[in-house]
Parts: sequence; C-alpha cells; structure tokens
Amino acid sequence: MEKSLILVYILLLIVTFTVVCMVGWYGSSDVVAPLIMLFAVVKFLLVAFQFMELKKAHSFWKISLTLTLVLFTVLVISLK
Amino acid sequence: MESLKINYKNIYYPPGGILMWIIIFLELITFGMALLAFVYYGTENATVFHESRMELNTVFGTVNTIFLLTSGFFMANAVHLFKENEVKKSSLYFKLAMLGGFLFLALKSVEYYHKIESGITLDTNMFYTFYWLLTGFHVIHVIMGLVILVWTNYGMTKKNSDTTVEDIEACGAFWHMCDLIWLLLFPILYLFF
Repeated sequence: MEKSLILVYILLLIVTFTVVCMVGWYGSSDVVAPLIMLFAVVKFLLVAFQFMELKKAHSFWKISLTLTLVLFTVLVISLK
Repeated sequence: MESLKINYKNIYYPPGGILMWIIIFLELITFGMALLAFVYYGTENATVFHESRMELNTVFGTVNTIFLLTSGFFMANAVHLFKENEVKKSSLYFKLAMLGGFLFLALKSVEYYHKIESGITLDTNMFYTFYWLLTGFHVIHVIMGLVILVWTNYGMTKKNSDTTVEDIEACGAFWHMCDLIWLLLFPILYLFF
C-alpha cells in the first residue's frame, strides 16, 4: 500500500469525525455552516488530488476543478 | 516488469482520460446546481428544513461516508498496483472497493426502508423531495459504478486480458466521482440546516 494514500485516508476519516462531532456539539449555526463547507472542500480536494491523482494532471484540470468547487462553496455559504 | 508511464501533464490525458473528466465535471455541475437550489429553498423554509434534517440519521450518513472513503482508498491502491503490474493484488483491492460500495448500498437501503416505514416520501415536504431525488440519483451512480467495477475486474483477471492502465484509471475515476458527489451531498443534506 502507498504510504501517502494511507495518510490521506486517515486524514479524511479525522476530518469526517471532526465535522460530525462539531455539528453534534454546536448545531448547524451560521458560524458552523461555513466550517462544514470548508471541511467538505478539504475532503473533496484530498480525494480528487490524491486518490484520483489529479496532482499529476495538467494545471488546466487542477485549476478548473478547484475554481468550480470554490465557486460552488462561496454560493452555498452566501445563500445560507 | 517495468511500470507503465503515461504523460499526465498533457492537457488531453488527465488520469482517467479526458472523456471521463468531462463526465465528472458535468455530473458535479448538475449535482452542484441541485444542491444550490436545495440551499436556496432551505433558507426560504428554514424551520421545515431544520426539522426534516434532524429526522435524518446522521450516524447512517457518517458510516456511509466511511464506507465510500474506504472504498475509494482501496480503489486508489488498486490503480496504483495495476500500474506496477501487480494484477492479482490489484484485483483483490478492486474487490475490497466493491465491498465498500455494496455496504454503502445496504446501509442506504436500511435508511430508505426506515423513511418509507415512517411514511416519508417524495411528497412529504420540499426537503424530502430533494433528499429522495439527490440521494436516489447518487445511488444510481453507485450501482453503475459497481457494474463497471465488476466488469473491469472480470476483464483484468481473465486469461490474455487486454485491459489497459487507461481502462483501470477511467474505472477508478468514475468510482471516485461517486465519492466526490457524496462528499458534497452528505454535509449539505445531513448537517447543514
């Protein structure tokens, strides 16, 4: 098994548990909602760049995906 | 045996192939727009969305996230091992990835069963209309992904296999796309309101 993949997997699990615990303790207030999205973005990028190996791809693909995700996240947070 | 090399820095050859990445972008944009509509209606009907969200089983959602992340982890290893010409090991990780997918579907079925038993359907309210449609379409993608995984795994293990690294990467990219969609669905549906 790739060491880097194991580390990414552990990080993904930690972030998942952190978000769920955070919502359990503090509810989904206006302060927590952007954090939920921030953690979702971190997980999304980890899967895309590490598991899907987008890190090896041409900058066009990296920038396009990141910009699409950032635009989506900003819209979700601003709508809330 | 030598490891296989592909020039991923070429704009036309992202890992998984350009066609798969066009599909991934289209899927993400489609689900993204539906999720934006969900958040928009959620702010209009904040009480209904909050009460409905509280009825969802966060433990089921979290465990399903772990199933998909674990499955994606095995898939990433399977692709890596195939590139190293370790076909048997790669096939084992393929099967573990599939197991994650089947477990996801099993738990989703239990969740759906509880909802239907409680009389919660598409017509219950706006929240559940989105819930059924978004998770339902995602489940269809997972089922499609599993069909592709089973077929590719069969192809790579048979004698005189003509399965290439590009095939395995495209298969992996589709499977990871199911992860990506769920990583947006889970926080917004189960935690956001």
